[in-house]
Amino acid sequence: MKSEKKRFKNIINKIKNDRQLKYGTFGIIFLLLVVLLSPLISTHDPNVFGPDALNKIGENGHLLGTNHLGQDIFSMIIHGTRTSLKVAIISALISGMLGILIGGVGGFFGGRVDQVISEKINIFMMLPTFFLILLIISLFGNSITNVMIVIGLTTWPSNAKLMRAQALSLRERTFVRSAVAMGENRRQILFKYIIPNGIFPVVANTTMGMSNAILTEASLSFLGLGDPNVISWGQMIYTGKAYLTSAWWISTFAGLAIVITVIFFYLLGDGLNHVLNPKYVNRKGE
Amino acid sequence: MTGLLTVVIVFAINFVIIRLAPGDPIKTLMGKENDDPVLRAALEEKYGLDKSMPMQFVLYLKTAMTGDLGTSIIYNRPVIDMIAEKIFATLLLVLSAALLALIIGTIMGIHAARHEGSLVDVIFSGVAYVLNSMPSFWLGLMLIIIFASRLKVLPSCGMTDTRASYIGGKYVLDVLKHMILPVGTLLLIQIPSYFRIAKSSVLQVSNEDFITTLRATGMGERKIFNKYIFRNAILPTITIFGISMAYLITGVALIEIVFAWPGTGRLVLTAITQRDYPTLMGIYLIMSISVAVVMILVDIVYALFDPRIRY
Repeated sequence: MKSEKKRFKNIINKIKNDRQLKYGTFGIIFLLLVVLLSPLISTHDPNVFGPDALNKIGENGHLLGTNHLGQDIFSMIIHGTRTSLKVAIISALISGMLGILIGGVGGFFGGRVDQVISEKINIFMMLPTFFLILLIISLFGNSITNVMIVIGLTTWPSNAKLMRAQALSLRERTFVRSAVAMGENRRQILFKYIIPNGIFPVVANTTMGMSNAILTEASLSFLGLGDPNVISWGQMIYTGKAYLTSAWWISTFAGLAIVITVIFFYLLGDGLNHVLNPKYVNRKGE
Repeated sequence: MTGLLTVVIVFAINFVIIRLAPGDPIKTLMGKENDDPVLRAALEEKYGLDKSMPMQFVLYLKTAMTGDLGTSIIYNRPVIDMIAEKIFATLLLVLSAALLALIIGTIMGIHAARHEGSLVDVIFSGVAYVLNSMPSFWLGLMLIIIFASRLKVLPSCGMTDTRASYIGGKYVLDVLKHMILPVGTLLLIQIPSYFRIAKSSVLQVSNEDFITTLRATGMGERKIFNKYIFRNAILPTITIFGISMAYLITGVALIEIVFAWPGTGRLVLTAITQRDYPTLMGIYLIMSISVAVVMILVDIVYALFDPRIRY
């Protein structure tokens, strides 16, 4: 019990000591609060088409104005947070799990298996990912579920590469060797020792992947390939494009929301990298 | 070798994806109400859709080797011709943005590293962080709002002024003027990666033991930097140049759409909405070949610059 408490304290200390990690963590907590409290924060129902079309900032009680259908921009942005976080987390989870499994198997099993897997990783890293996602979404339908799955399925190679490197070095460590000597089978070793001990750089990388997922979803929406049934920031930019000169606020604020969210995820990812990645050595030796 | 394999895999993936997808190009071609089986069979035969899947793939590969990427189902024109007439405008954007980003980003990074902790360093780093988090198309729209819609100093779309048909030097100037915003957008999006890598590698090399040794021998800071630090620190930017080119080759489509630039971006968009399979495959093939070629070139250039690497 006591050691648990100590470990928790250690984590808190680490968060406190790294500036990027600190701001990133606060940022993500802030975003989660926005999602949780969205009915309280938003001033209007974002799905209601009102009579106030293209209202300016502050006009008729619309904090950030309205779009051409009279929807309140501020409330849309608040509700769009949910979409962005959902895309970020689910696609990053898919990509993380795939990467861990594929990279873990390659690095741990070694030999021919590893050769085939690393060649696959290299090839997939060279594929123009965004265009592939765009192709699949345009052909298979643009529901938000499809978007999340496809982003997850196309972004695993970097995670796999990290996990493979970790598994390669863990394989030679004494505790893994003794597990082999004890007669544990390879699947047990992979899931019990290799993955739990080598997962940390992947966690940091996955956080970075979350911000890329948000940007990818926005780009798809901007091409008109977003899910028309959900409110997303990318889609707001897309609809605002037609009113760029007359109602600049539609695209501008939705884009700002994306920038802020992505910065939070980058900060968190950078911070986690400092704390979790064994390769990261602080130059000042701290 | 990996490069070549990549191209084949790209081909196979796309072939399978596009054939598996819902939607029927023959149906689009025949029109919604027309359901004549004779016409359908004739069209299927004309476009080779009546053969088996592996047969179609082999046929496509064979013809692609001769530079024939098939015929667009919608425009009834060779895909390669359609790409060829648009590719110049796209390359103009990609190459100018890539080169400018390489030069400006690296200079910024080196400057920040040599004056680490100074106000300039803090500002550069902050700007790089924010730029890195921006959707490229949104940045483009914001630049349009500021420079075209408010200040009215730059044109917001197209490649030339269609109302004034310039020739000669004036034409070049007109194109350059239209290029400022799209190239500027791509440039701003690309700068952070060069900045980051240049800064961190200069810092890293500066802290190596051999630099300390050189300092101890009494060599001047300027000479150390020009002769040793710069040459070693510039290497990673070559890799970033490859990655950045790969990003630009696909990412430029979004920017072309924002600025209504007459390049391949438009072609991509219409091909997607019209389910024009051959055009899509052609564009994707050209894209992945270019990415693979760039990566191979980057490896070669890297080996030339770094005597430690030998193939």
